Amino acid sequence: MSPKIELRGISKTYASARTGEDVEALRNVSFDMGAHEFVSIVGPSGCGKSTLLSLVAGFASPSAGEIRVDGVAVAGPDPKRGVVFQDYALFPWRTVRGNIEFGPLARGVNKAERAVITKRYVDMVGLTGFEERYPHELSGGMRQRCALARLLANEPELWLLDEPLAAVDLQTRNILQDELLRIWGDDRAIETRRAVLLVTHGIDEAVYFSDRVIVLGRRPGQIKEIVPIDLPRPRRGRRNSGELGRYVDHIWNLIRDDAAQAIADETT
Amino acid sequence: MTQTQRTLLPLLFFTALIAAWEIAMRGFGQAGLVPGPSGIVVAALRTLGDGSLWSATAGSLQRVAIGFAIGAGLGIPLGLVMGMLAPVNRALSPIVDSLRSIAPIAWIPMALLWLGIRGNAALFIVAYAAFFPFVVNTIQAVRLIDRNLTHAARALGAGNWLILRAVVLPSAIPSILTGARISMAFAWGSIIAAELAMGIKVTSGGSAAVGLGQLMVSTLYIRRDVDALVLYMIVIGLISLGIDLLMRRLQRTLTPWRQA
Repeated sequence: MSPKIELRGISKTYASARTGEDVEALRNVSFDMGAHEFVSIVGPSGCGKSTLLSLVAGFASPSAGEIRVDGVAVAGPDPKRGVVFQDYALFPWRTVRGNIEFGPLARGVNKAERAVITKRYVDMVGLTGFEERYPHELSGGMRQRCALARLLANEPELWLLDEPLAAVDLQTRNILQDELLRIWGDDRAIETRRAVLLVTHGIDEAVYFSDRVIVLGRRPGQIKEIVPIDLPRPRRGRRNSGELGRYVDHIWNLIRDDAAQAIADETT
Repeated sequence: MTQTQRTLLPLLFFTALIAAWEIAMRGFGQAGLVPGPSGIVVAALRTLGDGSLWSATAGSLQRVAIGFAIGAGLGIPLGLVMGMLAPVNRALSPIVDSLRSIAPIAWIPMALLWLGIRGNAALFIVAYAAFFPFVVNTIQAVRLIDRNLTHAARALGAGNWLILRAVVLPSAIPSILTGARISMAFAWGSIIAAELAMGIKVTSGGSAAVGLGQLMVSTLYIRRDVDALVLYMIVIGLISLGIDLLMRRLQRTLTPWRQA
């Protein structure tokens, strides 16, 4: 069976908005993803992981290489590839309901059906009773849930998650991690799961979630190692097993020097 | 300072000033040449009683409303197109910028020449004054749209039309309303100027299209009533204030998603 998503020799160079100089963000990145696989990308600041995600989403084109989904080259955004943005990118002028039904609305789903879809996903992410609130009236965690429900309402085959839990406090983060695993299908049959590509700073989170973790080095971003996480599912509630910690240590050792360098670069 | 003191102090000062004004005017025997508070009250009662103040105010406001609507109807679409399409912006922005720097009242002679003194000239001036703040603020609004929001909309399957309607327009509304407030202030200032310039002929011709500016001209040259002149100035100021309050309220009502 051919892979769901193929990245072949992806490089990306862009002109920096600040200095005008060319920045090589990614160099020769290649990997495949299965249709039911959870893959995370970790790496130090400036490794181009968010750039990689925006290329897969179709918001920008690679300078070299090709991204294929179901064998077809990515030419632009597509509702089959849903995105949750780092700052959620909820529409401030639409309520929770208005945000969640936007995808179905854009795809021409009629009003009655949109109401059914919205209710299903509002309930699934636990926002029942908050349907008429505007995003600025929600907590960070609730905005996150709303952004996830907005993605789910389109039933995309690939979920692209750009540091979705970076802006919430630690306890909310743990709760949302478990919810994300549940909604994705951690405890269900593998065929019911969707492909997920997650970008994160949190190595522990990447290991806890993923079937494979892709470790990027920095400037330009290149794959250092692809680490398969051979831990049984369901994993929910077993975030502190010894094996999980060994994976985290291994990945941290891979990127520690780059991460230290990234901090040094930022302070100079 | 307590709350009562804070309210009372400016009030007391204002009353004292009015009293001093009245006393000074009478003391120097200048009544009729220099306006005074009592004369203004008398003028107010008279012009409200015979309806001349009402009809002039209504006439000016009506022209402002129509001119403002024309300015918005042409300015917002042009701003949207210029904001979204870089080539159009490059082609048109030198023209827009040059025309924008000509003060609306500088058009008054041309407008009178082309459109006559009946009222269309004033309408043109007001529409011209209102048009540019709309264009400029709409362009700015479109430029400031969060790229993530348009990306999000595209990733959810939205086409160009839905993005225009559901992302571009709502994100532009706050800026457009700011433009509307500036437009309204410009329009109100310009209508008075235009009516002053169109002046007395309309009034003496017995036309119905009299505004506050024309009323001021006739008051100045025919009635020579300085008290009434000051009264009209006060009315013009109060209407500016009222318009601004109204526009601010509109801004709040139309953008409930924005935090107070």
